[in-house]
Amino acid sequence: MTVTRHPAMTATLWLAAILMLLPVLATFLNSIATGWTGGILPNGLSLDAYQTILLDGRFQSALLRSTVVAGLALFLACLLIVPAVITAHLYWPTLDTWMARLVILPYAVPTIILMVGYLRVFSAPPLQFSGQPIVLVLTYVPLCFPMFYINVKNSLQALDTTELLEAGRLLGISDARLLRRVILPSIFPGIALAVVLNFAGLMSEFVYARMLVGGQFETLQMYMFAQRELSGRLSSVIVTVYFLITLLITFAAFRLVWRTETKS
Amino acid sequence: MSHHSSPAMKLLAAPFLLMLAGLVVWPLANVLIDSFSKGGAWSLGNYAEILTSAYYGQSFVNSLLISFSTTAIGMIFGFLIAVSLRYRKGGTRRVAMALANIGANLAGVPLAMALVFLLGLNGTLTIVLKASGLIGSFNVYSLTGLIIAYCYFQIALAVLLIIPVLDGIETELEEAASLIGVGTTRFWLRVGLPVVGRQMIAIATLLLANAMGTYATTLALTGTSINVVTIRISELVSGDVFSDPNLANAIAIALLLVLVVPIVISQLLLKGDKR
Repeated sequence: MTVTRHPAMTATLWLAAILMLLPVLATFLNSIATGWTGGILPNGLSLDAYQTILLDGRFQSALLRSTVVAGLALFLACLLIVPAVITAHLYWPTLDTWMARLVILPYAVPTIILMVGYLRVFSAPPLQFSGQPIVLVLTYVPLCFPMFYINVKNSLQALDTTELLEAGRLLGISDARLLRRVILPSIFPGIALAVVLNFAGLMSEFVYARMLVGGQFETLQMYMFAQRELSGRLSSVIVTVYFLITLLITFAAFRLVWRTETKS
Repeated sequence: MSHHSSPAMKLLAAPFLLMLAGLVVWPLANVLIDSFSKGGAWSLGNYAEILTSAYYGQSFVNSLLISFSTTAIGMIFGFLIAVSLRYRKGGTRRVAMALANIGANLAGVPLAMALVFLLGLNGTLTIVLKASGLIGSFNVYSLTGLIIAYCYFQIALAVLLIIPVLDGIETELEEAASLIGVGTTRFWLRVGLPVVGRQMIAIATLLLANAMGTYATTLALTGTSINVVTIRISELVSGDVFSDPNLANAIAIALLLVLVVPIVISQLLLKGDKR
């Protein structure tokens, strides 16, 4: 039997969806309106402004910079974090416990606090990179940790790793080989999901981009920040495009989950 | 059966630990050490300044005010939405989770800009509400505007964090309650909420910390005009007339204490729960 569904619950969901979508709709309406003289409805509609922004070299460079920085940071994060999570899960329970605690690190230590520390760290050797884009690549790696831990750990728990390793040992297969040939491919969907979700998160990073590197290396967020005072139409196009990018990434992530769910 | 604990395998975690040491512990240690330095000498002067200055005191009061109110709103709506989603099929849930995820990622500059398009001087909703005579005027570049903006990502985050917690309550429990005539509202107030109480407190502390640490949304919406902690920190390190990096370090440590103490307490409570 099922528990009754209240009409109030349906109302709650609709209200929440509408309230959440209102700013997005207002932005989209602004982006296609050719003019707005007093009334509730715009004078006319056009997609011209989209062409202006999408062909704008400054927008393209900002998007490229953000993508490259996020890509490099994610590459580094995969190399550094994934092996550690696997090792902790299989051989080092103490580290695993600490990793589980560290998942809340981004909340306990917001980026504004770490930023103050990074200003010092990157102004002296051995990491004297003050103001250089590599600072973003490095500082983005710890931000990726929680998503990697949660998703890789989930995938590992779905496998019976202890039994796999025991069976391998009976057959004379080394742990290292089993890790590479069996475990790593099995947890690949988890890694991919972490990468996609982190990518969306890194594209939205602002504190480090503004305070550690600044305008000389304009990321997507910095570009949006600089253009926020621009003509309402152009800046609303930028926000709409950014929203579509986020939507696309999220859609990709959920497809990944869906694919692995139906497989298992 | 023994688990051949191989030290060689533990080495795989070494690069990660090195990264953690270099990019989290070291910068935090720097913040802590520098917070005790004033005018080139060791001193508690920075902390004394925070405690005695009405200006910096006010920044903490404002941050706490915004954070507590948006945490309360976030928890209430997050809980209502999560409960409502419990009775939905996978598809609706997935869409809702995706929306909440996007909502959490849209925080910052794009959220502030979108809210100006909605509630600014010529905002779509402002115009509609004005035309209908519901409001005289509305200033989005204000404390109220900030609270509305924060609510967007606070509710989104609350939904994302509460859904898995509610999944822990077995539907059998709810069905049993409904069989003996206990209604949905009473079930959640008397059984559901108490069962997940500690987890809800833990989520609330995370939301509180999330709001206290917010910078991008604040700067993009109200610039430096509203006196909150994160804006003060960024002003003190940005190298202009107000620059005083060591005072920024002390404020950062003070903020860290405000965030870490409730988080640690609530996590310890959670642990007690599991035993």
